Amino acid sequence: MKRTRRRKTHNNDSIFPMTVDELKKLITGKFENNHDFEFSIYEHHGKKIAVFFISYQVKTDKVEDFLLKPLLSKQGEWTSKSILNEVPLDTGSTTETLETILEKLLIGEVFVYVENDVEIVSYVLLKKEHRQLSKPENETVVLGPQVAFTESLITNLNIIRWSIRSTDLVLEKLMVGKRSPREVRIVYMKSIANETDVNTMRQRIKDLEIDQLEDSTTLMQYIEDSSTTIFPQFYSTELPDRVAYTVSQGRIAVLVENSPTAILAPSTLFSFFESTEDLYMRWNVGSFLRILRFIAMFISVVLTPLYVAAVTYHYELIPLRELITLGQSRAVVPFPPIIEAIILEFLIELLREAGARLPTKVGQTIGIVGGVIIGQAVVQAGLTSSILIIVVALSALSSFTAPSYLMGTTIRVIRYPMILLAGMLGIIGIMFGLCFLLIHLLKMTSLGRPYLSPIYPFRWVDLNKVLFRLPANYQYKRFFSFRPKDLLRYNKSEAVKKQDIDE
Amino acid sequence: MDVNVKLKENLQIRAFYLFFIIVTIQVGVGIMGAPMYIFVEARQDSWVSIIIALLYILMVLFVMLLILNSYENADIFGIQVDIFGKWIGKILGTIYIVYFIFTFFSVLVTYIEVIQIFIFPKISPFFLGILLLLLVIYSIVGGIRVIVGVSFTFFVLSHWLLFLLYEPALRMDLTHFQPVFDASIIELLNGAKATSYTFMGFEILFIIYPYIQNKKQAKFPVYFGVFWSAMIVFIATVVAIGYFSPQQLEQLEWSVLSLFKIVTFPFIERFDYVVIAEWMMVALPTLILLMWGITRGVKRVYNIRQKTTLYIVSVLFLFGCSFITYHHVIINLISNVADVGFWLVYVYPFFLLPIIYVKKKWRQKQKESGKKS
Repeated sequence: MKRTRRRKTHNNDSIFPMTVDELKKLITGKFENNHDFEFSIYEHHGKKIAVFFISYQVKTDKVEDFLLKPLLSKQGEWTSKSILNEVPLDTGSTTETLETILEKLLIGEVFVYVENDVEIVSYVLLKKEHRQLSKPENETVVLGPQVAFTESLITNLNIIRWSIRSTDLVLEKLMVGKRSPREVRIVYMKSIANETDVNTMRQRIKDLEIDQLEDSTTLMQYIEDSSTTIFPQFYSTELPDRVAYTVSQGRIAVLVENSPTAILAPSTLFSFFESTEDLYMRWNVGSFLRILRFIAMFISVVLTPLYVAAVTYHYELIPLRELITLGQSRAVVPFPPIIEAIILEFLIELLREAGARLPTKVGQTIGIVGGVIIGQAVVQAGLTSSILIIVVALSALSSFTAPSYLMGTTIRVIRYPMILLAGMLGIIGIMFGLCFLLIHLLKMTSLGRPYLSPIYPFRWVDLNKVLFRLPANYQYKRFFSFRPKDLLRYNKSEAVKKQDIDE
Repeated sequence: MDVNVKLKENLQIRAFYLFFIIVTIQVGVGIMGAPMYIFVEARQDSWVSIIIALLYILMVLFVMLLILNSYENADIFGIQVDIFGKWIGKILGTIYIVYFIFTFFSVLVTYIEVIQIFIFPKISPFFLGILLLLLVIYSIVGGIRVIVGVSFTFFVLSHWLLFLLYEPALRMDLTHFQPVFDASIIELLNGAKATSYTFMGFEILFIIYPYIQNKKQAKFPVYFGVFWSAMIVFIATVVAIGYFSPQQLEQLEWSVLSLFKIVTFPFIERFDYVVIAEWMMVALPTLILLMWGITRGVKRVYNIRQKTTLYIVSVLFLFGCSFITYHHVIINLISNVADVGFWLVYVYPFFLLPIIYVKKKWRQKQKESGKKS
């Protein structure tokens, strides 16, 4: 019943047949003050033929060579059927309604209309400008592919297809945005990815009712599980090799048109500390680097607060010799430790922000001015103790080791409430903060999957993918916590087969 | 009230986590002072008392599991109503809830007192109460998944404290344990009874059991959990007896915390401060599980929303803990909880089991006679 009604309205919407002049009036009426809209009328065997397109959206030389030339040189009359049949272009289609015509016009199709015909023919001859592939800027790696996504969705899809040459790879297309729609692609392996996850992701994107989508990072914020938390719940990456690896492990990637970053879901807290480089390194070195990052994060969150707590309340914690040096250097400082620490943390944050906003050449100067000169001057002026400079620099440095820029920023922001707690309640305050963070992390989910897996819910078999790495013959399983359809990557018995001496 | 608990599939937990639940709820604040209480009763043979206590608890657990397994998917509140009828069952359920309330309160007050004694002598207990209760509320609102998660992660994150005992352990004087087997049976049993407060908490099994997904595998984690906490108390007591002289230990209220005073690192001088802060990770799971027991119990017995109970009870606790600040009141509270808890936790299951069996037989007979007639 519904379907028949829809078809009826569809037919009613058809604006054809009409004369070419009427059509010109109708379409140009929609494009007022738009000088790039080209509408040309040709006379061919006594029949008027209209050809129209938006000039910069279309490859004009192709229009001339492959459309206009055959069109005008043929002996005999044209109809829409014969155009589709005889013009040597393969992307032809017919349309009837005004709405679709306008839509197609915008994405760079060329329309051909023979007067008083019942439908209009269009060809995709779009021209899309895009920049060349370049090196990754935000997630730099030493080893592995040195290529980053660009703003062109087609280029990005092309890279992914070449990375995973499998018929299992699905690049599902969705449109998001009511006023100006934008193409979104869900990428997954249909024989591996968990179906519930794919459905959830598809549902969340489909349910979006927004006027327009700015970027993949905003899409990420729209579809995240919790919008109140400070932690990112999906991984945003510009590395195609990371996407390829993650997708082949059974997770889902989402690409957005005009966005050079892909979203990876579901993600765990630990995936934000994994670099693809861990995979390219030997397993023991990779494990070392990964553990190093976890320690760095802990230091980054806890070190400055500990300094504040110890110097404000618990002098007993500091060994005697260090206490003397600390006392000497703090003797001239007029502020309580909490103010001292916050000033310095703020200074570092300012330097980072200024360095990020300025052009690269100036940015370096800012680093030197800030790091060396101001740091030195602040201590000499007696505004902070020299030990605090070390502490703050160490924790700032640690926070930059996170492979994900989003997570690094989160970690740096968490530090401020921790410093305040330490200033108010000493070591008990720090403990309160840590407990709160842990409970908070336990509560969180990413695409409905626990954020802290495989630590909780505890999965022994997954630890070697997250906390550390093992040699390849132990990594024969995919990440079990995300329930992939196909758990095994390769045969275990072949992988762990051991030979006797001299065999 | 339904005797059996119906739960959604996704709310169930693996039996594996019972181990962590049992250990974290048993090892709370009690262990901080346990060695002294045991030592006063059983002297150098205190370690035997702990083993006796462990064996006895294993028996209690065996009985508890028998009780629970005689039903399909019931908790203690449902079982009591089934056995004793609606009124008496509800009263008994209320006793359980009240017992949980007092246990929670004693843990809260003790931890606040320890912070006051060791770190901040002048901090207001009201303020500390707010902090702890906030964390408790925050995790309970997250539901059973978060509660179990807290007990699991905090278990892992606080167990490194055990390794710090190596320092006092190296300085133990083994003559403190001689002569061996000097204490009489009565003294040993008294010593075992002195552990009752420390070992309390495993009765949470009565409430959380319906949540277990694979009940057939539940036995091992339960027994092993009790064994693990007994082992921790055992280690703490043995090290305390070996490290402190008998005269010292008799007067040391928080002997386990004092053990950590000797631990120093090149970068941290007094480690006991860190230990007391870290103890929040030991006390919190206990508090959270007890509070969950309270809210769950009230919901089962009186059908009141868990959130309502949670907020009301928390406010009451908050005011309670800011008023009770005298040490002797706290000690009294603990010993009262221990006395009542002893009967409720350690003795009551042995009475309950035969009643259940008799009632079951009786019901079967009735059914058969009903069929015949």
